[in-house]
Amino acid sequence: MKLINIWLLLLVVLLCGKKHLGDRLGKKAFGKASCPSCSHLTLKVEFSSTVVEYADPIVPCNETRWSQKWQSSRPLRRASLSLGSGFWHATGRHSSRRLLRAIPRQVAQTLQADVLWQMGYTGANVRVAVFDTGLSEKHPHFKNVKERTNWTNERTLDDGLGHGTFVAGVIASMRECQGFAPDAELHIFRVFTNNQVSYTSWFLDAFNYAILKKIDVLNLSIGGPDFMDHPFVDKVWELTANNVIMVSAIGNDGPLYGTLNNPADQMDVIGVGGIDFEDNIARFSSRGMTTWELPGGYGRVKPDIVTYGAGVRGSGVKGGCRALSGTSVASPVVAGAVTLLVSTVQKRELVNPASVKQALIASARRLPGVNMFEQGHGKLDLLRAYQILSSYKPQASLSPSYIDLTECPYMWPYCSQPIYYGGMPTIVNVTILNGMGVTGRIVDKPEWRPYLPQNGDNIEVAFSYSSVLWPWSGYLAISISVTKKAASWEGIAQGHIMITVASPAETEAKNGAEHTSTVKLPIKVKIIPTPPRSKRVLWDQYHNLRYPPGYFPRDNLRMKNDPLDWNGDHVHTNFRDMYQHLRSMGYFVEVLGAPFTCFDATQYGTLLMVDSEEEYFPEEIAKLRRDVDNGLSLVIFSDWYNTSVMRKVKFYDENTRQWWMPDTGGANIPALNELLSVWNMGFSDGLYEGEFALANHDMYYASGCSIAKFPEDGVVITQTFKDQGLEVLKQETAVVENVPILGLYQIPTEGGGRIVLYGDSNCLDDSHRQKDCFWLLDALLQYTSYGVTPPSLSHSGNRQRPPSGAGLAPPERMEGNHLHRYSKVLEAHLGDPKPRPLPACPHLSWAKPQPLNETAPSNLWKHQKLLSIDLDKVVLPNFRSNRPQVRPLSPGESGAWDIPGGIMPGRYNQEVGQTIPVFAFLGAMVALAFFVVQISKAKSRPKRRRPRAKRPQLAQQPHPPRTPSV
Amino acid sequence: MLNLAALLWRRLLRKRWVLALVFGLSLVYFLSSTFKQEERAVRDRNLLQVQDREQPIPWKVQFNLGNSSRPSNQCRNSVQGKHLITDELGYVCERKDLLANGCCDVTVPSTKQYCCDGCLANGCCEAYEHCVSCCLQPSKQLLLERFLSRAAAAFQNLFMAVEDHFELCLAKCRTSSQSVQHENTYRDPIAKYCYGESPPELFPE
Repeated sequence: MKLINIWLLLLVVLLCGKKHLGDRLGKKAFGKASCPSCSHLTLKVEFSSTVVEYADPIVPCNETRWSQKWQSSRPLRRASLSLGSGFWHATGRHSSRRLLRAIPRQVAQTLQADVLWQMGYTGANVRVAVFDTGLSEKHPHFKNVKERTNWTNERTLDDGLGHGTFVAGVIASMRECQGFAPDAELHIFRVFTNNQVSYTSWFLDAFNYAILKKIDVLNLSIGGPDFMDHPFVDKVWELTANNVIMVSAIGNDGPLYGTLNNPADQMDVIGVGGIDFEDNIARFSSRGMTTWELPGGYGRVKPDIVTYGAGVRGSGVKGGCRALSGTSVASPVVAGAVTLLVSTVQKRELVNPASVKQALIASARRLPGVNMFEQGHGKLDLLRAYQILSSYKPQASLSPSYIDLTECPYMWPYCSQPIYYGGMPTIVNVTILNGMGVTGRIVDKPEWRPYLPQNGDNIEVAFSYSSVLWPWSGYLAISISVTKKAASWEGIAQGHIMITVASPAETEAKNGAEHTSTVKLPIKVKIIPTPPRSKRVLWDQYHNLRYPPGYFPRDNLRMKNDPLDWNGDHVHTNFRDMYQHLRSMGYFVEVLGAPFTCFDATQYGTLLMVDSEEEYFPEEIAKLRRDVDNGLSLVIFSDWYNTSVMRKVKFYDENTRQWWMPDTGGANIPALNELLSVWNMGFSDGLYEGEFALANHDMYYASGCSIAKFPEDGVVITQTFKDQGLEVLKQETAVVENVPILGLYQIPTEGGGRIVLYGDSNCLDDSHRQKDCFWLLDALLQYTSYGVTPPSLSHSGNRQRPPSGAGLAPPERMEGNHLHRYSKVLEAHLGDPKPRPLPACPHLSWAKPQPLNETAPSNLWKHQKLLSIDLDKVVLPNFRSNRPQVRPLSPGESGAWDIPGGIMPGRYNQEVGQTIPVFAFLGAMVALAFFVVQISKAKSRPKRRRPRAKRPQLAQQPHPPRTPSV
Repeated sequence: MLNLAALLWRRLLRKRWVLALVFGLSLVYFLSSTFKQEERAVRDRNLLQVQDREQPIPWKVQFNLGNSSRPSNQCRNSVQGKHLITDELGYVCERKDLLANGCCDVTVPSTKQYCCDGCLANGCCEAYEHCVSCCLQPSKQLLLERFLSRAAAAFQNLFMAVEDHFELCLAKCRTSSQSVQHENTYRDPIAKYCYGESPPELFPE
């Protein structure tokens, strides 16, 4: 099995390699894996004669073997986003042929940048900064490198990796693989070493320099999960506030949800996702909502836009072209496009981070069948963005620009579950973009205007929003709930929200004047009668903790490459498949973002707690006990917790330059045991792993714990596993029989609920899941909701006597752990941390409705564009007819297609900048030779062949040559 | 076409002065473009050079520009502020009190010059705008000159590009590599904007 995985990975890597290096047309059949410790591979791919070469420098090659080395010095938190990490997640499941057909193309021409070039816009007078691995001096592709600076501890300005060169090439290369803005002023900031190491402090100093240099556009093809790195996040805000347009890659951690990278996930930054040339979202592109707002709120929509990021051609380290994939590639495509766009604007004072982002998202083309947490506003459309920007008037706008909770799949997950009375309010996190000024505010309050003919009075809305919109942006969170009178009503309700944004008018003479802009946000929701209690499942989000800020280790210890639990543990991030499954089974899933004291247990059949790391308030423990006595059921999927293993998985974090010790295990078992102690239940600190079969289903237990004690009258299922704790600690293999992993228990009192314990959460979690156990969750929910004990479990041959827990010491919290630093429950105290006072439950104040007697437009989306823009007014010259087609490269064709003739203004095409010195030198030599001949008084005529051969080319100079000269 | 070229060749290009001209121009262009490239290379390398301790860095900062040399009555200002803004004369005002010329409205009572509110004895302030304003005090010039003379190599890129007192204060007050511990936390999360020589006090964990 393991071998198969290795080969799948290798195959994916090699197939990807084909498309990367598709431009190498020599029919030599050799390929080489780039990591030095790997053996060099030779492979000829049968379906084409082109060379397969995988040139990416960051292929992990120690991955395929189960290694006991737990310390990791890998820079975890911020990495350049080339494809290496992206394809790492590729399991080979979808290594389809589509990928192979993706032939590298000229991305600037594909996006029709040549239309703007012909209008004379080439990025001139725009300062664009590339924060990356540097760029070598005198690279033949660049004509306007203004400055190169180094901020690393390596004494070089040159790019040893090729990442920085490629990124700079996509933005500003002038030949071969053309970039978008060849005339832009390039400022190269080297902030990554050749080993891909970088620190926040290097970035801080480099960013300060970028502000001083008044950079207009800054590309960051980098990212990491640490949005709690306040010095870095604050600095990015500061740059935006200083009018630097930040463009950043959203990350290569897809297709898993909850994988957005910082800084692309910030609302002031243009976060860019990747697609292939067939308009499919690239598999590697990170997606899902932002997780900053959890547990109480809901995440923002990101990425903002998507563009080509797979098999894009760009500059090689020493010249020439190569193709790369990754959101690292998509980001400079947008940065280059923005640079080109900025150079088209006559009134530069209109260009700011908000107005550019507004133009990009208003012009983006929506991709069919893809939700907004994958594609944002859609695919970059350079020419439409140009049209919008050229008639732009400062204003505020919203992202998303309307809320249609019925629209599938674009508004997934909202469209996946209708709302009903008594449910947790649905929260939509809208980003306000304010093109009028770096600061702004919402005037008065947002207004809620329900449409009476369309039952708008059946919903209530509440707002929370940024008190100050800074820098250029803010949030507006809208909580939507159903009124009591619609408790048994079914239908669609509509209305809209009006907000007015004001910014100081700094260009006007009058002091204290303000610009204002009013925006309308249509809302459409589907309401159903409240479902029965048994169908309603409550997901506990409040007790899930994650990285950042603390070290919360992965639930599957084999995944040492990705040691942090950072995807949010939300039903719309890494538990998305489970959510989809529960919805398809007819369950309604709601999310609890507050302590257990804040929900009405009579509404819900089952409280689902998966992989909880947080502690519990004493009041919560008491309340949950009462709730269960009164019929609430509890399903707990726990995970490992072993203090010896926790000490073993500590590692030295290169990024923070300190040792990182986990603050919990996969789950917080000591805390869970306190919660469960009233029922005489508890988990152990054992650590088990293995494959097994349960009720004819193949299962995999990945780093889970066992049940240490369970009531006599409960049902307990056991299995035989490997002791993974022993394996991790002592590298010894031992098999343990009869490990209790599943327990079912009915509270004996009248009307009491049921409790289910399972020792491993990996089979529900999308990250690194090998075999799902959704069938088991179904069976367990059947049990908790209806009291039907699944026969497959109750009559299982693996049923054993419940363990009494006698003679076993209960697992203790790790001494000296720092959980209280990140916990909402604990606070530091002399001695042991103590629980804080129980916080008040969140209270929403519903906006006073101002009913309207009007009807909503039938299509909400089309009505929501930027104001005062008439696209037809901005006429584009009709260059398309004579625009050479950008064709895919077919095998055997010469590489001359690199510069389709006549696209760029002549001077670039002829490479005048580089060839004039050569001509001049040749001319001088010819003249010198002539003099020598004259002086020696030779009778015969000097040879004229050479100069005559030169002449036609010189004579043609005013016209661009038809044939490209490479 | 070919005949014309041949004619041109015979008539014109065989004259010595024409050839001399072509030769000369070509040589000049060749040499100048070659030199230009070398010049750039040198500038690149400068940024990496480790400066000798004895040799002071040739800062171009000029402190005593005064009001007279400022063009007209336009002001540069600190641009970024959420609530406050500081102009190059050292006035701090609320954003709504900023005039169209970029200067603070000095007639508003809340506008203050050389304001050190929220600044500690170590030269670190709670608000960026107050740091810049405080740093613009003429009496801080000595402190800044002393800082420049000892500036770490890491800051040379930044402070070599600074041209006057205002730019120096804008740059100096920003959070930088000196402001952090463990890379991802501030040494002092409150008073983090420093015009002085020392980094912020290490905040007890």
